[in-house]
Amino acid sequence: MKTNKILNTSNDLRWQIGEGFHDKLTEGIYSDAATIAQNSVHKKGDAKRFRFDRSLDKIVTSKIWGFPIMILILSVVLWLTIIGANYPSGLLADLLIGEIYPWLKGIGESLGFSWWLSGFLFDGVYLALAWVIAVMLPPMAIFFPLFTLLEDFGYLPRVAFNLDHLLKKSGAHGKQALTMSMGFGCNAAGVIATRIIDSPRERLIAIITNNFSLCNGRWPTQILIASIFIGALVPENFAGAVSTLAVIAIALLGIFFTFIVSLFLSKTMLKGEVSSFTLELPPYRPPRFWKTIYTSLIDRTLIVLWRACIFAAPAGAVIWLISNVSIGDSNIANWMILHMDGFGLLLGLNGVILLAYIVAIPANEIVIPTILMLTVMSAAITGVGEGNGVMFELESVPATGDILKAGGWTLLTAINLMLFSLLHNPCSTTIYTIYKETKSVKWTTIASILPIILGFTVCFIVTQVWRILA
Amino acid sequence: MQKPTNSACEGCDLNQASNLKKLGINIDNNDYVVALAGNPNTGKSTVFNALTGLKQHTGNWPGKTVTRAEGGYNFNNNKYKIVDLPGTYSLLSTSQDEEVARNFILFGKPDVTIIVVDASRLERNLNLVLQILEITNKAVLCLNLMDEATRLDIEIDDRTLARDLGIPVVPTSARSKEGIPELLKTVHQVATGEIICKPHRIKNVPKNINNAIEKLRLEIEATYPNVPNSRWIALRLLDGDERIIEAVKTGEFITE
Amino acid sequence: MTNPVTLLIIFGIVLVLLFILFYPKTGFYWRLQQSYKTDPKILIEDILKKLYHAEDNGTKLSSDHIINSLNSSPKKILETISEMEDKELIRFKKGEIKLSETGMDYALRIIRVHRLWEKYLSEKTGFHKKDWHEIAEKMEHKLDSQQTKQLAINLGNPRFDPHGDPIPTETGEVEQLNGKPLPKFKEGAIGRIIHIEDEPEIIYKQILAEDLHIGSHIHIIEKNKKRIVFHSEGEEFILAPIVANNITISELKKEDISEKDTFRLSNLKEHEHAKIIGISRECRGEIRRRLLDLGFVMNTKIEVDLTSPMRNPRAYLVRDTSIAIRNEQAKFILIEKIKIHAETN
Repeated sequence: MKTNKILNTSNDLRWQIGEGFHDKLTEGIYSDAATIAQNSVHKKGDAKRFRFDRSLDKIVTSKIWGFPIMILILSVVLWLTIIGANYPSGLLADLLIGEIYPWLKGIGESLGFSWWLSGFLFDGVYLALAWVIAVMLPPMAIFFPLFTLLEDFGYLPRVAFNLDHLLKKSGAHGKQALTMSMGFGCNAAGVIATRIIDSPRERLIAIITNNFSLCNGRWPTQILIASIFIGALVPENFAGAVSTLAVIAIALLGIFFTFIVSLFLSKTMLKGEVSSFTLELPPYRPPRFWKTIYTSLIDRTLIVLWRACIFAAPAGAVIWLISNVSIGDSNIANWMILHMDGFGLLLGLNGVILLAYIVAIPANEIVIPTILMLTVMSAAITGVGEGNGVMFELESVPATGDILKAGGWTLLTAINLMLFSLLHNPCSTTIYTIYKETKSVKWTTIASILPIILGFTVCFIVTQVWRILA
Repeated sequence: MQKPTNSACEGCDLNQASNLKKLGINIDNNDYVVALAGNPNTGKSTVFNALTGLKQHTGNWPGKTVTRAEGGYNFNNNKYKIVDLPGTYSLLSTSQDEEVARNFILFGKPDVTIIVVDASRLERNLNLVLQILEITNKAVLCLNLMDEATRLDIEIDDRTLARDLGIPVVPTSARSKEGIPELLKTVHQVATGEIICKPHRIKNVPKNINNAIEKLRLEIEATYPNVPNSRWIALRLLDGDERIIEAVKTGEFITE
Repeated sequence: MTNPVTLLIIFGIVLVLLFILFYPKTGFYWRLQQSYKTDPKILIEDILKKLYHAEDNGTKLSSDHIINSLNSSPKKILETISEMEDKELIRFKKGEIKLSETGMDYALRIIRVHRLWEKYLSEKTGFHKKDWHEIAEKMEHKLDSQQTKQLAINLGNPRFDPHGDPIPTETGEVEQLNGKPLPKFKEGAIGRIIHIEDEPEIIYKQILAEDLHIGSHIHIIEKNKKRIVFHSEGEEFILAPIVANNITISELKKEDISEKDTFRLSNLKEHEHAKIIGISRECRGEIRRRLLDLGFVMNTKIEVDLTSPMRNPRAYLVRDTSIAIRNEQAKFILIEKIKIHAETN
């Protein structure tokens, strides 16, 4: 074989040259580059970097200002997202659920759809879609453009630079600070963002732990439950502040778990993966505002939303089906709730919550509507809700609390739900994204199962200790 | 080598550039395929957008485009397909980005490769340029971010640079679309063979390594006479690049 | 509802059990796996290696020595030794065990795999130095000759392992190191580290903690029975002679001694200027390539651009670009400080 001859020659030559081929070659290329550049480049001044860049860098990476600036910016972005999304979310919900939903039901009726067809299509599939869009779109449409503006300006590499030393302690990469922040918006987007991490080990760590960043889909759940159960513990004047603190505590707990799990992974499963850190600090460039907003909507928001919709539609169908298809004398949902209740109570949760997390795997946004519907159904509460398999949410927070309390919820259930909402498997969009990014069943499985094991463990311990103390 | 001349015809050529018909993604029956390569943070994606009108997101962050983005445009009644490769510092390592970029230039055999460089940091960017010129004969250097270079008081003699590199050089500022019509025209001229490139080949290599490269190059050429980049393949074999070893076994890079 | 205390106790017991079973290395599960595979082949190969190293050092080994130094039952070892004698791998000479020619070939083959695998771990994976030996210790029994050949080709037929030990060739030739242990040199001597022994582990760990690099030049400043003091790459090291004994140095000829003062990039202070001399041999594989690609090559001018709030990483201005690397990596980049005030370039 001629080709073998080439390879044999190459092996012989490699042996003769010995080590350092790559070094010599790179040196050669760079010295060629220097010669060529010398011929054609004329520098009039000796400015190597823009003076503005340097002064700005001195501030944003300084010992005193580096961290406060970062925290301030992240808080502002999150605040704008959570507060700013309320209004458009309400509008969308009014439109999709308040207007279009009854209109669709009307059309179904006029076309003579049987109750199960109209239930399956509109109460199941459509409602799940409508919910995901109404709750997911506005925060993402605010969060991503803000984040992209910072990215385009060039600030984000500086954040990675500032935080690398902290993250390194748990075996992670400085750039993980950014994928984590992105995870506060959406874990699927956070996982995609790990592409910026060029070191294989640190990238896997960032992917697997991204779920511990409390995403947009979970903030509203946390806020709702905290204001019903934790805010109620203190006088009304402090209720808002205390429940906010509780939510922040959960988010911080998530960061804590990110560190612990990163450390665990880098010491065990990821020990042999190659690890390196290099980071270019590019010049600052003024972002083009409108273009950025437009492209980040197209690039990130719509892609993620589209994926979520694909998963939400069948989930809506499943939710409707299990609530309406019967085995024996109860429907599937009730049957499952009954059988999971024991395990749920062991963890300080209940069968409804566990079932809701199973069927609402496509999007954390539909967990609360599903829990409400299932609670009303299984506890046979009359006067609220839209019927079996029809997700709903109430305008009034106290009314929501009443339903949950009627379903047997206590302060302990609420705390555990908040913990479990932080520590459970990623939503199916994220799982799918993890698979696309890692192309590995093994890592996808680990990323999905690890948080749920943690969730079970933490809830179990909290519950049992609580019971001892109570 | 020829440079785009400042003849009277330039006006009409540029005029045709304004006829540039922008196409979206997914164009078949292309007359030419163009690859877009370059270091991270050189405004590569901005050039891509300026050429295609496609709104691809351009992040001020190294290594944004991991998968290839594709687009297309029309010029002089020819359809061009353009592929945006991941931004890399080099093609010699084995990171995922670099493999995507390297494999496309080597195995995808684009008709023209546009190499985008940051004019204010030319020397550093030339590392990648020189490597690409080992792989392909048909390339255009897009000297981007000229506005930033000017602000830093850096002047670049693009004629000398073109002579030294052996490929056409087009200064641009893609953010304000300056130089884009000239870039389109030059790409067309290289694609149609109107401009023949004589790319620079890496010279400053120690003697023993150069001898080894030459010896191996001759053997590769003896087996695969039509390979244009035998020297580069020799380089990669000596570096133990497993993908290239595999390619030599199957001979995939010579299939026309 | 079950008593929470009982539940927590059950949970705790389960946790402890899991811990005992799967704790890395010492866990019951791993031990069970270990004991399964102490098949005769591994024992034979381990004995051969012991004999080879003994002959290399010029020490004599008896059956008792081998029994004491291996982790198997004396009975099994004695059986194996007699089996090896039957197979003519070894022969006895006045109570001392010697390798036969076939035994020697066999031993070299095992050592070749071991060192190649260490080379592989250092170039292609992210395992820490301290783990290489142990992993290679397992792999050396697993690879057949065809796999070994392929491994060597993929690595470019390396001549030395990452500790500086020569890798035996396929035909069993071993290059000789022309160096002496560090304590054999006098004060004032200048040399280059060519080998760092990775056994025994206790001493190797002390050397690792000092962060000495293979290939670096050293200058011995002080030597007495208690300690050896030497300078290397702008830093001072103090070692006990017993530790220093595991470091092999080859003395440099006059013409090889450069006049430049070599420093590690991590030592460069803000506002200082420097020129890169090279990257330490201790920096390998993908990380080395990446640094080279980013322009950390010989004769490149470099200065500190920014220091992060926690002082690590730092960003350096290399070829007009600000590139941040961690101090752990900056240690591998060797520089020479230069004084410039009126730089024209």
